[in-house]
Amino acid sequence: MKKRVGIPRALLYYKFEAMWKTFFEELGAEVIVSPETTKTIKDLAVRYAPDEDCYSTKLYFGHFIYLKDKVDYFFIPRFGSDHEVNVGCPKFIGLAQVLESLFPDFPEIIMPYYSQAKANHGKRRLLRIIFQVGFKFTYSPLKILKAGIRAIKAQRVYEEQLHISEQQLENWIKSKIILNEKPNLEKRKKPMKIALVGHPYVLNDSLSNLDIRESLSQRGVDIITSLQMPRITIENQMEKLDYNLYFSYEREILGTIMYFLENNTIDGILQLAVFSCGPDSIVLELASRYSRRQPETPLLQLVIDELSSEVGFSTRIEAFLDMIDRRN
Amino acid sequence: MPFTYPHFGSLTYVFEILLRELGRTDIMVPKKPSRKTSELGSRYSPEFVCTPFKLTLGTYIEMLDLGADELGIGGGNMYCRFGLYWPVQRLILEDLGYDFKFVPIPIYDKPLGLVKTLQAASNNCTVWETIKAFRTTWIKTRFIELVDKLHFKYRTLEMEKNQADKLAEEAHRKIVEIQGLRNLRKYGRKLPELFDKTIEIDQEKKKAALKIGVCGEIYVALEPTLNLDVHRKLNELGVITKNCVSFGMLIDFERKINPFITLPYQKARRVAKPYIGQRCGGEAQENIGDIILYKKKKWDGLVHLYPFTCMPEIITRSIAPQVSREYDMPFLSLVVDEHTGETGFQTRLEAFVDLLSRKKEKTLD
Repeated sequence: MKKRVGIPRALLYYKFEAMWKTFFEELGAEVIVSPETTKTIKDLAVRYAPDEDCYSTKLYFGHFIYLKDKVDYFFIPRFGSDHEVNVGCPKFIGLAQVLESLFPDFPEIIMPYYSQAKANHGKRRLLRIIFQVGFKFTYSPLKILKAGIRAIKAQRVYEEQLHISEQQLENWIKSKIILNEKPNLEKRKKPMKIALVGHPYVLNDSLSNLDIRESLSQRGVDIITSLQMPRITIENQMEKLDYNLYFSYEREILGTIMYFLENNTIDGILQLAVFSCGPDSIVLELASRYSRRQPETPLLQLVIDELSSEVGFSTRIEAFLDMIDRRN
Repeated sequence: MPFTYPHFGSLTYVFEILLRELGRTDIMVPKKPSRKTSELGSRYSPEFVCTPFKLTLGTYIEMLDLGADELGIGGGNMYCRFGLYWPVQRLILEDLGYDFKFVPIPIYDKPLGLVKTLQAASNNCTVWETIKAFRTTWIKTRFIELVDKLHFKYRTLEMEKNQADKLAEEAHRKIVEIQGLRNLRKYGRKLPELFDKTIEIDQEKKKAALKIGVCGEIYVALEPTLNLDVHRKLNELGVITKNCVSFGMLIDFERKINPFITLPYQKARRVAKPYIGQRCGGEAQENIGDIILYKKKKWDGLVHLYPFTCMPEIITRSIAPQVSREYDMPFLSLVVDEHTGETGFQTRLEAFVDLLSRKKEKTLD
């Protein structure tokens, strides 16, 4: 019988989906990913997660508990960073051991530790992790190596597809191409252009973002997400700062916001933040202060948590869109 | 250009020493923060940022009003958001209309980089003078922390009130003022004796005294305004306390590179490995390790303090119950923010101390 590996569909899964799935499938394991967040999962999350964690981390607990009877192993890497100095969130590193400590009788958690920034891990460490994890599933080193290489390739292809080029960005601004959902143009002649900015695990999880992508496209809005922005544009923006914003995921967020504030080529920016997310609290303030200095492009900041209601949410979005309409 | 920095418990003296050694004459020692400072800070701070941000911002506003215009703060790359305090605070203070300059010190930089930054902040010091100034600072810090340790012990046991407070204040000042390392060492050696002679001890209290360590996020554990003076509260309940976290150890390069000494925080990190295998910012690993170390030292319990929404310490709080159960070490975790009520805090500490003293009586029987 195939060994079953469970991956909760939350947090870093949205970033490394391609790599993790390919790796375990190539090893001959059965990959079980928890379904998209449902009401049941959210209830589990709110009941069992520590009450001070951020909303997204709480949802992780929900997905984890949902999978407990369906798998033989959990795969929760302790991922620090993939950059020389910039780091991820400290919670991603501690999460696996917190879960192990809170739920000791759950299936075994596979938790490789990889961090380039503080621990100086490089290719050798990656190779070691691949073999350490691989030997749990198969005894053939060749198969493991092949799986590892294919996984890394799959991730690279996925990222190339996700990140658009600068040329594409220009074309999108000129309305030549559409990057996401097709805007519904019943009430509008020309689609409104809005940048949707936030963490991948918020923008891609329709329960935690209260289905914002769908509701925006229904209202005739053409969106670009911060996940798609060309890396080079973001790095160029970050170099303009006189300090180093060392949270890698926040660089993407602030970079996108600063780029559109500066160039003033689109109608508005919508930033989604998670309640009690540490890095977000800093970037929310930075973004709002920068936007006050360059007020041409309007910026709406929404903070979500488990108590956010869809009605209050859509009212604010509607008000924002109306405001933009009146300006134009 | 008057230079100021955030108030940081007894470490305020350490920063004063460092600046004096660097040849700065225009130091403005920060005022002790009050309730008003924290309200002032919270008014202009982001919504769910951690509490140290709000308190330091409040202090800066108060000091800028008094005429300071160079602000010192830690910076650099780390896991915690502390390194990003100053860019945000700079924007906030600019919008409030102040004219000032931030001097961020990259605390996780390589030693040479750290020295370079200190040199830039100094009054025309050479590299060698900067290193010497830094060395004097860490040696003086050892004695500052020794005074703290004695202070928290004798405040519990003293017959007459406020004696320990007065003596500790005097000793701190003396250490700041003293010239020459030889005089300092001579004075430092006499410190335990000084406390022993000046303060009369209640022998009965000494027998019954519990020992509790205070660990947690370093700023909250050391700044009395933020932790509602937890040491004093515990001392008044007849408990000898100690700071498990120490800033001195982190800057004490002499002891750090000495292969024959393992510093307590290095030991703590090692024993914490099975529970939390790697550093993840804050004092998460050290705090977990301290539970085990202080059990071995036969202390009675630990109080863990952390600011609301602190990312690394939430990890500690989640893992600590397991460690505390396995080693049978009582552990009380308390969140601190600007809304923390004095009474609620006091009640919980009293309950914890009651529990520990009953436990101690049981083992004595």
